[in-house]
This record gives sequence, C-alpha cells and structure tokens, in this order.
Amino acid sequence: MKRLSLLILIFVLCSCQTLPLINSPVSLTEEKIFTCPSPFLKSKYRFIQTIEARVAGNTQGAIIGVTVADPATSVVSCAIMTAEGMVMFDAESGPDGLKINRALPPFDSENFAKNMIEDIKLIFFSPVGKIQNRGYLPDGATVCRYLEENGDWIDVITNKSEGVQIKRYSSAGTLKRQIKFKETAGNIYQSIELQAYESFNYSLLMTLIEAQPVKK
Amino acid sequence: MQTHRHLCILFCIFAGVFLIFSKISYAGENNFEKLRQESAKIKTIQAHFVQKKFMKILSKPLISEGCFYYAAPDSFRWEYFKPLKSIVLTYQNNTKRYIASGGKMMEDKTGGAQAMKIVLGEVTGWMSGRFDQNPSFNAVINEGANTKITLTPKEKSMAGMIEKIEITVSKKAGTVQSVKIFEGVGNFTQINFNNVKINEVINPSVFQDVQ
Repeated sequence: MKRLSLLILIFVLCSCQTLPLINSPVSLTEEKIFTCPSPFLKSKYRFIQTIEARVAGNTQGAIIGVTVADPATSVVSCAIMTAEGMVMFDAESGPDGLKINRALPPFDSENFAKNMIEDIKLIFFSPVGKIQNRGYLPDGATVCRYLEENGDWIDVITNKSEGVQIKRYSSAGTLKRQIKFKETAGNIYQSIELQAYESFNYSLLMTLIEAQPVKK
Repeated sequence: MQTHRHLCILFCIFAGVFLIFSKISYAGENNFEKLRQESAKIKTIQAHFVQKKFMKILSKPLISEGCFYYAAPDSFRWEYFKPLKSIVLTYQNNTKRYIASGGKMMEDKTGGAQAMKIVLGEVTGWMSGRFDQNPSFNAVINEGANTKITLTPKEKSMAGMIEKIEITVSKKAGTVQSVKIFEGVGNFTQINFNNVKINEVINPSVFQDVQ
C-alpha cells in the first residue's frame, strides 16, 4: 500500500509542470541594487494597435485594437474593429466588473471578453500579487515572481538579448501566457507578441499605431 | 452568420459609393428612377478615400486612407494603405482578401473574402438600378437645404450592427458632402472620396494583382 501511495505521489508530482528555478542574489550588495523589471504603465494611456492573429506561425487575420488603460484605478476600456471601421467588440472593466457594450461573433463569448481584459492587464499593469521570489534564471535573466490571488504565478523577466518578457503560469506551473516586448529601444509597446497556450495555441502580434497619454 | 456581420460595413461603404457617383443631386426631382438611369451609365469608377472612425473610446478620429476601383459588372479592388494595409480583390466571381504581414500580403483566412462576395451581389443590384428594392435596407430621400439619403436596415440582425447610413449631398455644388455609417451612440464612420474618375479605362491587372 505504501508503495502504491508513493507511486501515485511520484506520478502526481511528475504530471505537474515546475516553475523555472530562480537563483537569489548572492551578496548583500547585489541584493541591495537588485530591481524588478517593470515594463508597466505609470499613468493612463490610450493605445491604438494593429493586431495580427497567428496559428502555428501562419497569419490568420488582422484587426485594429484600441485600449485605454489606467494603472491608478485598474480601469480598462478596449475596442476591436476591422480595417473597414466595423466595431466588433467594445468593453470596459472597472470596479463594477466587466461591461460589454458590443460583441459580435466571433468575439461574443464571455470567456473572450474576460480573457482579453486579463491579457491587457497582464501587459500594461503591474501584478496585483505579492513578490514571492526574485533573482536570476539559469540563463542569467533577471526575474521577479509574483503570486496572484487566484494562485497563478507571474514572472516578469528582463534579459539583455531578449528584452522584457512576462510569463503567466497556472498554480500547477503550466505556462498559460508569454508576452514579449520586442522593442528593446524606444517605446517598449511598439511591438508586443502575446503567445497563448490554450486548447489550441495562438499568438497575437500587436504593432503600435499611436500611443497617447490620457489626462484625467 | 459571422460572414453576414463582416459584410455589413463593406455593404454600407458600397451603398454610399454608388449613390455618390450616381449624380444623386437629381434624386429629389425624380427619386429613384433617376438614380437607376444614372447608375446604368457607370462602367468604371476609381477614387481615393479618407475614412474617419469616431468612437467614444477615441479622443480623435482614427484616420484610414485607401483607394478603390470598380469595373462593371463585378470587378472590385478596395484597398487600405494605412494604418492597417489590406486589400479586397474581386475578379471573375473570385473574391480574396489580403492583409499585410511581415512586409508581405497574406491571404485573410477569417471569412472576409466570403463576405465581400455577398456585398458584390448587393452592388450588382444597385448597378441595375434597384436602390429602392434592396432586401436589406430601406432608402429614403429627403430634400432640405441639402439632399439627404438615409438607408436603414430592414433586418433585425443587421439593425444591431448598423443603425443607419446618411449620405448628404450639397445642392449648390451637386457633390456629396459626407457619407456617415452609424453603428451606435458616438460610434460612426465617415468616408470622403477624392480624385474620382468615372468611366476611365482600368487595367484588368488592378483586380488581380495584390501589389
């Protein structure tokens, strides 16, 4: 019986993904100067982007996205339209929850709206959770790891060669989202790649048309 | 159903386009019969356009620019130069839509081309002069300081996407002032055309070549 329990435990442990190992800063000096990467908004902004959807590396279609994000209040408004100007999706998320103003197929599922707002927050807002670990990944990249209220893990990573990345893992350690800020100089939001690991994987390439600070 | 929704905006744009170029200033005198007669004379059209998108979420309109070509009976090229480069081509009953990706034009696989095919069916109806017999829209002409043509959707499913289309024509100049497509409160698209050429020869390659 003990053997069986041990085997089950090993099986369960093996079936879970593990989060990448983080090596803590080695010296006190290193610890003092350590800063977490922060590609996040400091004030309210409006972004207009082209969004190209890819599946298995092949482009499927492209749309125009408008996002207004306020890090002070965590309020997000977003809209998706075709090149011809047809608004396919329009929603806002704030203290009162998610409000969908317009959602036409294929953007009319509740999950789509929820996931989209979560993705926008992941890109533009600093994680709400507390830092659980910080240091360096085996490849030398600087990383800060946050634990979200829902149990997800968020790694914010900066690497000299690859720039800034954000990775969201499930509580079991499965990678769910990977965001790459592809622009290493200039506006960090110029080119963003979001890789989603779902029942089918897809990626979104967001290219900035315009960024405007929004006065309150 | 998705296709149906995709085609709405294109449908509206073309509705505006053909009413514009049908010398609509005569419409008040002899309503749709005049339009039918004028439309029948159009063999080709080419023009540039500036599209302004107004939305509550935008502090200023989003401006797109492009061009379009039409040759009777069913050849189209509708192209946006910016901000999102895309082309719809229709030639010999074959419709394709392309978008820019990594410096190349890639075929859109989301159903936009199929939508365009349906739009084309509607446009063919207009070219035959059936402006007031469109199964999707009611058309009303109002005479005032300017001539205003209002198209409103007949179907409930379309009414949820498009409230109405307004085409305003200056009586003095005999030219179109604006085409506005209303989707909802504070949400509308305005298209202005310029450099319009009617019944000039268009090379058929325009309807076949993406570049």
